[in-house]
Amino acid sequence: MWSNIKNMFTAKSSASAAKGRLHLVLAHDRSGLEGGRLQAMREEIAAVIAKYVAIDAEAVEIQIETRSRAAQLTLSTPIQPRNA
Amino acid sequence: MGRAIVVTSGKGGVGKTTVSANLGTALAQLGHSVVLIDADIGLRNLDVVMGLENRIVFHVVDAIRGKCAVQKALIKDRRMENLWLLPASQTDDKDAVTPEEMRSLVNELKQMHDFVIIDCPAGIEMGFKNAIAGADEAIVVATPEVSSIRDADRVVGLLAAADVPARLIVNRINAALVKKGDMLSQADVIEILALELLGAVPMDDQIVATTNKGVPAVLEVTTKSLAAKELQRIAKKLAGHEVEAPATSIGFFTRIGRALGLAASPA
Ligand SMILES: Nc1ncnc2c1ncn2[C@@H]1O[C@H](COP(=O)(O)OP(=O)(O)O)[C@@H](O)[C@H]1O
Ligand SMILES: [Mg+2]
Repeated sequence: MWSNIKNMFTAKSSASAAKGRLHLVLAHDRSGLEGGRLQAMREEIAAVIAKYVAIDAEAVEIQIETRSRAAQLTLSTPIQPRNA
Repeated sequence: MGRAIVVTSGKGGVGKTTVSANLGTALAQLGHSVVLIDADIGLRNLDVVMGLENRIVFHVVDAIRGKCAVQKALIKDRRMENLWLLPASQTDDKDAVTPEEMRSLVNELKQMHDFVIIDCPAGIEMGFKNAIAGADEAIVVATPEVSSIRDADRVVGLLAAADVPARLIVNRINAALVKKGDMLSQADVIEILALELLGAVPMDDQIVATTNKGVPAVLEVTTKSLAAKELQRIAKKLAGHEVEAPATSIGFFTRIGRALGLAASPA
């Protein structure tokens, strides 16, 4: 019952799917950076970070999004504890 | 000195020609003197949408080449006091004219008319560059679909680079689909493109019917003409008149969304 109600609010309409896809596509279009190149950049940056702190290269997340015509690049990664 | 307004979109088939014909006619209804230019050289359409196809003698390339005086190439619309069409050439290529030639043609027409409305071809190549060359401002037409909005976004970027201020018309909105969550609302489109909204034109069978007859829909307004009424409202707004809020009868949440979208300032 609770999950039904929750579904009612979280079920994705095709309009919100369109909106999500547009945000992504436009971020790439506006920055001139193709999706595949973004992943290549993610790997290169992960390798650089790994030289300084212990990270799991697979866990590095890269994201490009648009805010009012300007594209914003975000990279985030958990850092592994020193004695792990 | 008149204002030159280019109607553009990137993608084809979204309503540029329909919007150009109806806004031009509606501005003439308001008493302004209007010239419509079909800048879609090689694929002319504005003549048939206006129902003036049988009266063409000269066209825009003739006027630019000096084959005739610019005034001679204008077709006077007999239904209106103050409306003219400068048709495109059907036999030339889009690169038959240059942006400089278009700019000087548009400037000449601005001397004698209040509004010069330029119907832009699809694409972002030469035809687009020619169409925007003489424009003081732009109307970007987009339908609430991913491909149309994506192409509109490219055009918005190119217009900004060319220093042409742009406003948005969202065309072919289906209120029932928006309500069901199966179509982007105009608020969504405004938010994504970060443009000021001029108006939101509903999907309306009457547009198809009047276009079949070669009569701009704003010349046949009835109580059921939702699209034509919105186009007349947009014309008033363009001309700087006070206008009511959009008349489309859509849901409460959509209206809230729209209010939020309208509040967002253009970048
Ligand atoms: N609001 C609308 N409701 C219904 N049909 C429309 C509407 N706007 C445009 N159309 C139809 O869509 C088609 C494409 O419009 P058109 O103005 O020729 O687009 P474009 O000039 O951008 O290629 C035409 O058949 C036109 O009648
Ligand atoms: Mg057209």
